[in-house]
Amino acid sequence: MNSMIKIKDLEKYYRTEEVQTVALNKLTFDVKEGEFVAIMGPSGCGKSTLLNIIGLLDDPDGGSFIFNGIEVAGFNERKRADLRKHNIGFVFQSFNLIDELTVYENVELPLIYTGVKPADRKKRVEEVLEKMQIMHRRNHFPQQLSGGQQQRVAVARAVVNNPKLILADEPTGNLDSSNGNDVMQLLTELNDQGTTVIMVTHSEHDAKYSHRIIRMLDGHKVTEDILV
Amino acid sequence: MIMNYFKIAWRNLKQNKFYSIIHISGLAIGLAAAIMVLAWVQSEKSFDTFHKDYKDIYVFNAQFNINGENRVWGGVPGPLAVYSKSISEVGKLVRINSESNQTISDIDRDKILGGLTVAAVDNGFFSLFDFNVIEGQRNHLFPDVNSVVITKSMANKFFGDHNVLGKTLKYRNENFTVTGVLEDFPENSSLQYDAIFPMALYSKEFKAGGGNGDWKTIDEDLGNYSFQTFVKLHANADANKVANKFTKRYMDVRNNDPASKVEFKLQNLADMHLITPDGNKSAYRMVQVFLLVAILLLAIASINYINLSTARSLTRAKEVGVRKVVGANKKQLFFQFIIETIVLFSIALIIALVLVFLLKPFYNSVSGRHLETSFGNTSIWSTIGFALLGMLMAVSIYPAMVLSAFKPLPSLKGKIASGVGIVALRKALVVFQFAVSVILIVGTLVISSQMKHIRKMDLGYDKDYVFSVSFPIEAAKNANAIKSELEKEPSIQMVSATGIGDMSQLDSETSDLEWSGQIQGQNLLIAQASIDNNFIPTMKMQLVEGANFSGLPSDKTSYIVNETAVKEMGLNEPIVGQKIKFHNNEGTIIGVVKDFNFKSLRDPISPLLFNSNWGTQWGWGQNIFYVRTTAGEAQKTIAAVKKQYDKIATDIPFSYQFVDKQFEAKYEADTKTGNLFNFFAALTIFISCLGLLGLTTYTARVRIKEIGVRKVLGASVNNLVKLLVKDFIFLVILAILIASPIAWWLMDSWLSSYAYRIQVSWQILLLAGCSAVVIALLTVSFQAIKAAIANPIKSLRTE
Ligand SMILES: Nc1ncnc2c1ncn2[C@@H]1O[C@H](COP(=O)(O)OP(=O)(O)OP(=O)(O)O)[C@@H](O)[C@H]1O
Ligand SMILES: [Mg+2]
Repeated sequence: MNSMIKIKDLEKYYRTEEVQTVALNKLTFDVKEGEFVAIMGPSGCGKSTLLNIIGLLDDPDGGSFIFNGIEVAGFNERKRADLRKHNIGFVFQSFNLIDELTVYENVELPLIYTGVKPADRKKRVEEVLEKMQIMHRRNHFPQQLSGGQQQRVAVARAVVNNPKLILADEPTGNLDSSNGNDVMQLLTELNDQGTTVIMVTHSEHDAKYSHRIIRMLDGHKVTEDILV
Repeated sequence: MIMNYFKIAWRNLKQNKFYSIIHISGLAIGLAAAIMVLAWVQSEKSFDTFHKDYKDIYVFNAQFNINGENRVWGGVPGPLAVYSKSISEVGKLVRINSESNQTISDIDRDKILGGLTVAAVDNGFFSLFDFNVIEGQRNHLFPDVNSVVITKSMANKFFGDHNVLGKTLKYRNENFTVTGVLEDFPENSSLQYDAIFPMALYSKEFKAGGGNGDWKTIDEDLGNYSFQTFVKLHANADANKVANKFTKRYMDVRNNDPASKVEFKLQNLADMHLITPDGNKSAYRMVQVFLLVAILLLAIASINYINLSTARSLTRAKEVGVRKVVGANKKQLFFQFIIETIVLFSIALIIALVLVFLLKPFYNSVSGRHLETSFGNTSIWSTIGFALLGMLMAVSIYPAMVLSAFKPLPSLKGKIASGVGIVALRKALVVFQFAVSVILIVGTLVISSQMKHIRKMDLGYDKDYVFSVSFPIEAAKNANAIKSELEKEPSIQMVSATGIGDMSQLDSETSDLEWSGQIQGQNLLIAQASIDNNFIPTMKMQLVEGANFSGLPSDKTSYIVNETAVKEMGLNEPIVGQKIKFHNNEGTIIGVVKDFNFKSLRDPISPLLFNSNWGTQWGWGQNIFYVRTTAGEAQKTIAAVKKQYDKIATDIPFSYQFVDKQFEAKYEADTKTGNLFNFFAALTIFISCLGLLGLTTYTARVRIKEIGVRKVLGASVNNLVKLLVKDFIFLVILAILIASPIAWWLMDSWLSSYAYRIQVSWQILLLAGCSAVVIALLTVSFQAIKAAIANPIKSLRTE
């Protein structure tokens, strides 16, 4: 299978007034299309930083990042945004739904920004909501939902555009185990249908859903567990 | 997509009711007030510009140089009309001789209308000016001397809806045929008459009265500066050059006699309303001040919006972050925020228009104008449209730029402390708002003190409890008999018969005066009034030297001058006993009256000469009676005077005028303008406060967790209020420091148009500063206290 993501010697520093933190230190690894990869490691080791760079929300300070065969390290904000909106879906630990929008509208948002026609949007949103079993709540606002429901909406929003890659940063971090399992189930299903998934997690249990676990320490990869 | 934006915008408005109300009410009040101010400014500026050729129409002023100072008079001599025929740049010249307080009746004297202003005009009047002739033939309105053109409302009063042309009216015991009906003069016309007669009528009366010395016709009379005169010049003609040509022609005929030296000036028709002939621009400046107020109103309302919406961007950062993560680009977000502003702005605009509509009667009564008339003028709409568009751009673009530029990652993490630049700008804008408020407070205080100052000023005579009654001219022959009849009435303290129509506007001036020690070429424009020996005591004026008139025949050759006249003539002591020649009548100065105000208080006191009306057989000079009474007996006195009045058969209904009322009326326009200014200043300050309220509320809300923690740790309510209020009060004090010198300078220059003025004292500045602090404190503390006394558990839970 093709490599979707090729990362080589990736570096990221954070400079504050006095200290410079090395968040990513010569990190190298690949992710193939259709893979389900879990990233684990102690707090502060650079997992989120990595995910943000893969998600084109942030740019690296060094190294190379090839996404679908294109070198994207050094892309400007607009190019990154363009690539992002057609290819990548995000799921966050804190859901990040827009409080002023209903469930339906939150899910519809990515379609609006990629310019999908209203009729198609409706079909697509309903389809996804159905799949995430949250259709009955379509006109509710995020605050009126439980955490598990909110995360299901977040997942629905992440997949509505049929992205090739889903990035999930501790998607179960704010959920109890039963809701957490539901979300993992959803991610697995998506992966089965061909979507590449990269997930950051602190839970060994959740990591078991993946094909491969990358373990990090101080900004670089220490081991890799192949599960399948 | 657009629909989606509107939907979101609407929902945002609904969900943040408090801020929406602050935003909308601030904008709506600002817009409504600005629309009204602009309407007023527009109506002031539009004066006389409805004449198609107003740019080429000028009015004459005559400028005399007196002791090195220029004095300007709004009337010019009649022969200028003759000169105009041979001055090539002149297209047309029209003279107007107007008289106020005239009476016209219908033929049967069933209906008598008094208090009318009538004019005698040259035939070109109706082609020079574009007043609407609704009935009659525009180019042939005066077939003969006994023609009259009246306004529509006059026509209605006399004849109702019936056909008016050909009907007869009576004026000064002569019959006139109505040959035309004019639409009522527009509100924004400087020329306002009830009836217009042909110049031939005035010309006839002038001849019948024996002319003026050797000059028998108005076309020859070089001495009387009695015509308000308009010229239309050919396009591109140089008005100054033309004026000089007229001056030269006049001075040639006068053989360049230095004693008759005058310079004619031309002032454009459009400037006539706001700039007095002598160049006093105080009215014009007031219009500029109001324009500034309108701009400030809009600016302050805009600043509120910008400040509060960028401050709240903290709250909206997460939304921006999420939108960006799911694919929104900067442009799309930019438009989203622009549309939000447009929605809010449109709601505010609708409310503003409703407010304007509701406030219309109030505006009309305060300003003395009709809002609907201003709105009938198309140019107001472009002004308003322009202002709205400018404001909309100002308020929408900046916040949209700030918000849409947020980086997605930090926004999501809530790390978007607004940039230092934005915070500094917000502070600067708050300082600006409060500086403006302070300036406006100083303005209100200064304007109202100045108005009070004028009203309370020592005029040099006692204007209280004196009223004047204008008797018919026929009665003047029996002036002494009437006086002695009236003096029998115990409620009357004193009566004087004079030729003075209005004590606060003695505007009959002459330069026909010679005195010993007069320097070659020195001439003096001196106000003249005929009085009797009772006048000075009746008005409680003071003589600084010499004696009053005696009431004896010797008065005929006696003159009394004021202190300013003595000074300007350059007379040496002893003044009493000096010979002067007044209108060729040689006489003696018998007394000097202490300077008193007989003109607008904007102008300094000018020279004045009293001559006695002793033995005058013709009316002018002693048909206007001044009666002094006391507070309690005014009504009784008026009744007594009316009894005397009714003995004389006349068309003119009895009427009286209290001198103090007449005086106040002169400043009514100023007072109205002052009130209007106060009103809009108060609104501007109110809008600033709304903005401050929004900002503090938001600050308190953002810091709610901090407040909770501090409280748990033992901070008192006092401590917390101080914490929240401190920053804002610092800004307000900074604003006061910046505003004070500006306010002082602005108001000082406004006051400089008054000859009698107060000073902008430090007390006024201090008072304004304190008011600003108090207003700001009240606004800010309300929210601060609310936040500080809230239960800390509750605030800690709000996350
Ligand atoms: N904006 C920032 N400024 C400065 N340092 C940062 C910033 N973001 C992250 N860091 C630092 O970079 C390092 C990596 O952070 P990162 O958020 O990637 O860790 P993480 O592995 O996701 O941790 P956790 O499991 O707690 O989420 C940490 O030491 C963190 O302190
Ligand atoms: Mg993390």
